Amino acid sequence: MNKIDSRIEQSSISQDNNTWFNFMPVFSVLLGLLMSGLMMLLLGYNPLIVYTNMLSYAFRDIYNIADIFAKATPLILTGLAFGFAFRASLFNIGAQGQFYIGAVMAVACALKLGSLPSYLTLIICFIMSLIGGSLWAAFIGYVKARFNANEFLVSMMLTYVAIAIMNFLLVGLLKESKGEYPQTDVIPKNGWLPSLIPHTRLHWGFVLALLIALLAYIILWRTSLGYKIRMVGFNRDAARYAGINVENIFVIVFFISGAFAGIAGFTEVNGMQHMLIEGFNPIIGAEGIGIAILGNAHPLGIVLSALLFGALKVGGNLVLQTSRIPASIIGITEGLVILSVILSYYIRDKLIILRSKKKLAVQERHRL
Amino acid sequence: MNIITGLLVATIRMSTPLMLGALGEVFVERTGVMNIAIEGIFLMGAWGGFVGAYLTGKLWVGFLFAIVVGVFCGAVYGYFTIKLKQHQIVTGVAINILTLGLGLFLYQLLFGIPLLPLTVEPLKDISIPFLSDIPIIGSAFFSQNILTYLAVVLIILGYWVLFRTPLGLIIRSTGENPEAVDVAGINVEHIRFLAVLGSSALDGLAGAFYSIGFLGLYTNDIIGGRGWIAFAICFLGNWNPLGILIGSLIFGLAEGLSVFLLTSNFKLIPNEFLIALPYILTIIATIARRQFNVPAFLGKPYIKERF
Repeated sequence: MNKIDSRIEQSSISQDNNTWFNFMPVFSVLLGLLMSGLMMLLLGYNPLIVYTNMLSYAFRDIYNIADIFAKATPLILTGLAFGFAFRASLFNIGAQGQFYIGAVMAVACALKLGSLPSYLTLIICFIMSLIGGSLWAAFIGYVKARFNANEFLVSMMLTYVAIAIMNFLLVGLLKESKGEYPQTDVIPKNGWLPSLIPHTRLHWGFVLALLIALLAYIILWRTSLGYKIRMVGFNRDAARYAGINVENIFVIVFFISGAFAGIAGFTEVNGMQHMLIEGFNPIIGAEGIGIAILGNAHPLGIVLSALLFGALKVGGNLVLQTSRIPASIIGITEGLVILSVILSYYIRDKLIILRSKKKLAVQERHRL
Repeated sequence: MNIITGLLVATIRMSTPLMLGALGEVFVERTGVMNIAIEGIFLMGAWGGFVGAYLTGKLWVGFLFAIVVGVFCGAVYGYFTIKLKQHQIVTGVAINILTLGLGLFLYQLLFGIPLLPLTVEPLKDISIPFLSDIPIIGSAFFSQNILTYLAVVLIILGYWVLFRTPLGLIIRSTGENPEAVDVAGINVEHIRFLAVLGSSALDGLAGAFYSIGFLGLYTNDIIGGRGWIAFAICFLGNWNPLGILIGSLIFGLAEGLSVFLLTSNFKLIPNEFLIALPYILTIIATIARRQFNVPAFLGKPYIKERF
């Protein structure tokens, strides 16, 4: 890259805050929907009808609308898990495993605690799922810091180990008392998160997820720890020369990131499922990655993207029950949306360079 | 067949797709691109192999189709990462999410939701006369299916190409010093793109090994992280075809052991632990292996100087 280009890059990042670039994610969502619409068309379905049905189903009544928020709750948290680490240029693609560990901890506490007051049970479940997820992930950060192991690989592999542990417990210690299926008993009522809107599935976990998104924002942009985290993300070597203990940051980031994913296990078990079933929510971690990318790894963006994915799920599932399109089209739509987000990053960078080049040319002319 | 023979047979069988996938990954990473989409391409290869074989009734059509599907996925990945210079891990993860939906979707679209999984007759073993009669090791080494033999041949060929030919020199230099390659008049992006396509072809073939090479059916969790293991083997084998041969055999042994113990009547260790064994081994190996010979430009897009 020559001098002008690098000068442009430096100047353009700081001055780009006003324009329609902020709407880039909206365009890429539309592009993703368009592409999966084309796919439906190729398969002989009318995408317009499918999409309008999706919309009308998703917003048909208060129950479905509440369901969007309920579905978005764990997605916000797994999205934050990836997004938070991404801010430090670390790749925690093992949110799925941390989620399962959190869920196992939550269900085990809820089942074994007996008849404590409700708020106490919930607090204990919350804390234990948090600890489970964060320690599981902190191991990744530790081996990254201590042995320079590839965090990407280790977090992926640990997911499969977590699945094995969960399955092992579901046929052993935590198996239902009937002993038929690999699942737990329904947890006692005092372990249930109270519902937010009566007669819907929406529970207080959603508020919790919003608070945690706010917390993530505060940590990243309003504390010195967050400053260090983002600095490590921008330039690891520069951060090290500036005296930041980069290895410590690795462990801390993974610890926090895993806590988010673990809490998702808590909200799903105590708020939604009220039990643990083998192989539940199998792609929640992967969806979290997509949500974080779509939301530009910013907590607010992640919340909005999670709501979009939630709406896709609710509307999609209902449409698919009534038509012959396989349910997996939702996964494809999600994948295509993420790909078009990446495409939009490319277009944005191109536009920024183009615009700044013009600006530079004008400046040069004035100088002469 | 006694225990040791059974274990050896299983080891070598299970290491075959890992060899293919990791060999492709070695070549592509030597040019400086990580093929993170490997898990997704394995899955699409498994899907393509099954569909091709089921619809035509011919296994070779299945393998061919798996390669085509793999190359297509690789082309998408290459376009985003090499041409548009976007982040390799992010793009790879996106493609992996996409294929997870795509494999199931296209399967259900073609076959609906069958009550029992559809099956094809998987690849038959080829026994090499006389050699396969050697006691204990004979049937493990000389009575495998054709892909296993192919994988071993490709690894030896790959080693020769990479370290003994001008092409190998170009490939290695593209990852170590793309500018020098560019100055020598060779198009860096072309080399990288071709390497992505080549590795994706091998990944597709490796994926098809699971569906029609030995199980004879397709499910959406048929790969279950084996692509990542192949990716890990490439690291652990130090980007050297002979290193990955050893690595694949070790992981094949772990997997063979878990398959073998699952089907036998030993109940010493819980099944879930056996299933987790290859993944735990990957983690341990990633931690234990300290000295790496990482290509200098691995994961970094090449941006040409413009004046």
